[in-house]
Amino acid sequence: MTRSWLCFVLLLLLAAACDKENDDLVKPLSADEFPQVIVLDDEGDGGLEDEDAFSFKLTLLDRADATGAAPAGKITPLKEAVTVNFKVTGFKGFNKLSDYIKDAKAFYEIDDCTTSEDAGIKIPLQFDVNTGLGSVQFPAGVEEVEVEFEVDDALFDDDVFNTKKRELTIQLTGTAGNNVAVQANKTADFTYSVQDDEAIYGEWELDSKDAAAFTRFKTLFGLVSEDIKGLTAADVKKITFEVEYGEIKVVVKLKATEVVNECGSAETKNKEIEIETEIEELADDELEGDIEFGEVLELGKGKFAEFVYKGSFKITGKQLTLELKGELEDEETDDIMLTLEK
Amino acid sequence: MMTKWIASCLLFLFPWCAWAQQAIVKGTITDAVNKEVLTGATISLLGSNNSTVTDVNGEFFIYAGSGTRSLVVRYLGYSDSTITLELKPNETRVLRIGLSSSYARLSSVIVMGLLQGQAKALNQQKNADNIRNVIASDQIGRFPDPNAAEALQRVPGVNIERDQGEGRYVFVRGLAPQFTNVSVNGEQIPSPEADVRFVALDAIPADQLASIEVSKSLTPDMDGDAVGGSVNLITRTAQSKKPRINASLAGGYNQLMRATNIQGQLQYAQRLGNKEKLGVLFNSSYYHNDLGSDNIERSPQDNEVELRDYSLTRTRLGLSSTIDYRFNPRHEVYLRALYSRFTDREWRRRYVFKPEDEEIEKLTKDRFEAQSITTINLGAKHNFNSFFLNYEAQFSNGRQNTPYDNEIGFIAGIPSVLGFKNPKYPSITADDFTDNKAYELDEAGFGHTLAKDRNITAKFDLGIPYKLNNNSGLIKVGAKLRRKEKSYSITQDYYEAIADVPTLDAFEEGPIKSSFLGGRYELGKPLSVGSFINYFNANPAAFASSPEDKAIDEALEAYDAEEHVVAAYAMARQQFNKLMVLGGVRYERTKVSYHSKDVVIDGAGDLQEIVPVTGSSSYDFLLPQASVRYQLSKFTNLRAAATFSYARPNFSEIIPSQEINQEDNIATAGNAALKPVKAFNLDLLGEHYFGNVGVLSGGFFYKRLNDFIYRRVLFNSPYPLAGTPYLNSIDVVQAQNGNQANVTGFEFAFQNNLSFLPGALKYFSLYVNYTYAHSAATLQSRTADAAKPNTTEKLRLPGQATHVGNISLAFERKKFNARVSFNFNGEYLSEVGATSEEDVFVKDRLQADISAGYAFNAHWRLFAEVLNITNQPFERYMATKDQLIQREYYRQWGRFGVKFDW
Repeated sequence: MTRSWLCFVLLLLLAAACDKENDDLVKPLSADEFPQVIVLDDEGDGGLEDEDAFSFKLTLLDRADATGAAPAGKITPLKEAVTVNFKVTGFKGFNKLSDYIKDAKAFYEIDDCTTSEDAGIKIPLQFDVNTGLGSVQFPAGVEEVEVEFEVDDALFDDDVFNTKKRELTIQLTGTAGNNVAVQANKTADFTYSVQDDEAIYGEWELDSKDAAAFTRFKTLFGLVSEDIKGLTAADVKKITFEVEYGEIKVVVKLKATEVVNECGSAETKNKEIEIETEIEELADDELEGDIEFGEVLELGKGKFAEFVYKGSFKITGKQLTLELKGELEDEETDDIMLTLEK
Repeated sequence: MMTKWIASCLLFLFPWCAWAQQAIVKGTITDAVNKEVLTGATISLLGSNNSTVTDVNGEFFIYAGSGTRSLVVRYLGYSDSTITLELKPNETRVLRIGLSSSYARLSSVIVMGLLQGQAKALNQQKNADNIRNVIASDQIGRFPDPNAAEALQRVPGVNIERDQGEGRYVFVRGLAPQFTNVSVNGEQIPSPEADVRFVALDAIPADQLASIEVSKSLTPDMDGDAVGGSVNLITRTAQSKKPRINASLAGGYNQLMRATNIQGQLQYAQRLGNKEKLGVLFNSSYYHNDLGSDNIERSPQDNEVELRDYSLTRTRLGLSSTIDYRFNPRHEVYLRALYSRFTDREWRRRYVFKPEDEEIEKLTKDRFEAQSITTINLGAKHNFNSFFLNYEAQFSNGRQNTPYDNEIGFIAGIPSVLGFKNPKYPSITADDFTDNKAYELDEAGFGHTLAKDRNITAKFDLGIPYKLNNNSGLIKVGAKLRRKEKSYSITQDYYEAIADVPTLDAFEEGPIKSSFLGGRYELGKPLSVGSFINYFNANPAAFASSPEDKAIDEALEAYDAEEHVVAAYAMARQQFNKLMVLGGVRYERTKVSYHSKDVVIDGAGDLQEIVPVTGSSSYDFLLPQASVRYQLSKFTNLRAAATFSYARPNFSEIIPSQEINQEDNIATAGNAALKPVKAFNLDLLGEHYFGNVGVLSGGFFYKRLNDFIYRRVLFNSPYPLAGTPYLNSIDVVQAQNGNQANVTGFEFAFQNNLSFLPGALKYFSLYVNYTYAHSAATLQSRTADAAKPNTTEKLRLPGQATHVGNISLAFERKKFNARVSFNFNGEYLSEVGATSEEDVFVKDRLQADISAGYAFNAHWRLFAEVLNITNQPFERYMATKDQLIQREYYRQWGRFGVKFDW
């Protein structure tokens, strides 16, 4: 009997000795071990040359929601504040950073109507306009922090069509104290571009009193908006075409008004129909060229469709001429020309 | 309760059946020379039709009236032996009978033990009540088959599906693996895999088994959920007082990987005590194998080609034990345990050439998977004067743990041109595609999965012998309860670069193989997954996770399920002179419940919501079974069987989890109301055995499958299918019942020693079997659409090969034996495509293996084997044979070792 047990033990030892299968394995950080990562919220932004401020935002990467309430993941705010270092670099179109940036401040949104600044909460921020180096505290319990720079609004404001870039870049350089649990993404950057208001950027208005122009506008944008398709000229107060950083907005301001209650104060405003699109292609350093913009349209009942407008533009002084063709699934418009004024 | 009722009725209906004053003769039949037990020997009571057969341990018991009785013992290859006994009323007589071989060659080559294995198998087959093939342990050793699946490929009508060249799943009579149940020691084992019921038999080392039985027709005392067949793996038991130690040690070589492998086995068995009441057996084996494959795949629809370079390390650990205690000749208890652990670490390095996107992807996977199966059977056998009672409890656990499944994908914007003038080796033109500097990180995925399947079973069998005139019979009733719990959990994380992660050259390592596909393609330097993960761990802020993809993957696949089975049967076996009739009925009730999740993707392709869902179903089956065997002569049987059986759906088909993708306007949905496939099976078989240990058999089989399960597209369906729909029109893909399929075929087998030939040729033996099968399943036509959704078409059943066969020629003389074996798997439909142009077929494959052995004496012998000597690839094609979509080469591998029996 002793022999049989001895034999059994030997067999087990033999099996255990042979059971090696994870040689050279390097285990990746698990989702729980993966640090909170502070990132720049966007790759860039832009403002017209007479803007007196611009900002960038710091946020946290989405994480899986253990509660399951947000299955696609969500930002999990920090439990303790972390100081994030950043630098402003790579400026083009000017020689000295201090010629353009005058001051900086940081704040975060408490709700849609209130910022930390409104509530008297001061976010520690340091910024040296000479070196471009700065740091800002990312407070606990918030999802994003905005750093706003006050800039010289006269430095670039001219009446000349500029073809050279005027921009600067912001990068995160790390967190204070080499915090392992909270790290900053150090290689992504945010570029702020000064947009030339002699180019296509800015607000352009269509003469809605021009019956032919109004009909062409309705044909073109009625493709993606039943509200625009049903308009009469008498309904309309103003039609604008707003070209901004990365997006184009078509806004129809109606004569009809509504009372809008924003942040506790009621205000009577004109109703608006708005089509927001992303720019796919635009030669913004030319006075004429190709243009393409579009978006995904929600059709209801869970259906979505992508629409796109393609064509060309031409700027002559204060006049913008667009020749566009709209496409939505199997429907499309003819090439339609619109003339707008700045 | 039901079983008691059935038993009471049977006892009432057959009051004459109980034999008062009868004796029991119990014993063991062994070879007179080497004391090996003889399985499948017939023991008949002279002057009556009362007979029995020895079990896998060579043991038997038979009821006999008191007085002078003569027993006749018959065993193929041995002389008949008659023993006369004077039996007293209620006596239990214990015998140990040694038979002498009547066949000179059987004695002369006894040291090899190979013919003895063949004799065991054929005797069991010959005397079985149903249509059954048996592989004895000695036979398993004849072929170079390291796992249970590969051993089974030698059985007529069985073909196997391979993974990396090694057998994994078993197809019986052309039916897919879910139509065959797998048992260990007579009780079903759970599948370690997540979404199926069938068992990957490469997890079980062949050398842990005493024998393998493949039942092609059912009897009422067998589980009814077997349409193709039922495979029973039987572990070993101690036989004698003399300690038996068996061991083997082998080393091998894989030509493709230029790597060695190692295999060892050690078994100890002994019956202890003066009366040998306690039997103990411990068996362990271990196999470590470094293997690989060179693979090229093509996707004709996408105009893409993949080069896949696999290297793997597989281990197979087997531990088994049987402890039995015989209180006296009538009563015994036993504990049988089997633990097997199969591990598979796989490195997959692949290029994906995408000319349409002008991209080339380079992906590297490092995955470890451990499949384990544990079975513990605790039972007892009681032989009373007028009945016998066997009962058993079984715990079995299947588990598949994948602690890591890491895949790193890099991508390069390199255009490529693919040419298919030579479909076997497509031409690939792409500038500097092996330059790792061109590849940027696309995505890194880190996964972990755990699948668990646990069965707890309790059952009993009660047998009551009776006599009708002078014909003996047996009434048998029994019942079973089984509770199954199955679950699958998954953790999957995806990361993308949000900063400038270095290009692939920063993580490269030296090539694993000296050449790929014979040097036809250059692969450059592969990625070191460990090197990349080191970078990832040091620079996590350069990566962003994708919690949405994580949530979708984890919710879609995870589930918990419970299944309760209640079964009962009643059967009678009656011998009328040369005719044996066995008939009865089996009742099985199954109740299943599930918990899983729905995933809703909105029209923009984003995750909308994840909704927990539950479902349940239950079904009953009453399964009449009948088998007859007519003994034309001492060596010739005619058999027929008409049986009803069924196959439960795979868990993946019934779990009510759903994915609704509004972007693509398609939803996939589980179907908790899915019914099992019902089958009627008809079998006819004629078999003639040769006294010098051989057989010639031929048979016909027919199966009609109702409620056949297939994937149906419900065009423009409201969604959800039940309750208030919130979508009016979406295409829903769901497994559904409703169609019929038929399988018809015949099989032929011949094995015998060619002793009638002159000279040295008489030392050869031939083993041939062939199965032809034809199937037709009616399915919703792939051309069906919303206008004509009920259009049907006929297809072959997936997995059904028209031609399957084996040829093996062996030479065996004195201390030397050698064998060359060919295994042929005919082509079969592997995947049913969206259109017939997308149907995927696995091509014919003929594998040739050679093995040889030399016995120094009764204790020591050498063996050597080389597998896949012709380097046969695994090939798949789409629609037409010239449109090859996969070719995978393994090269040759072999082993050389020594076996020790003491």
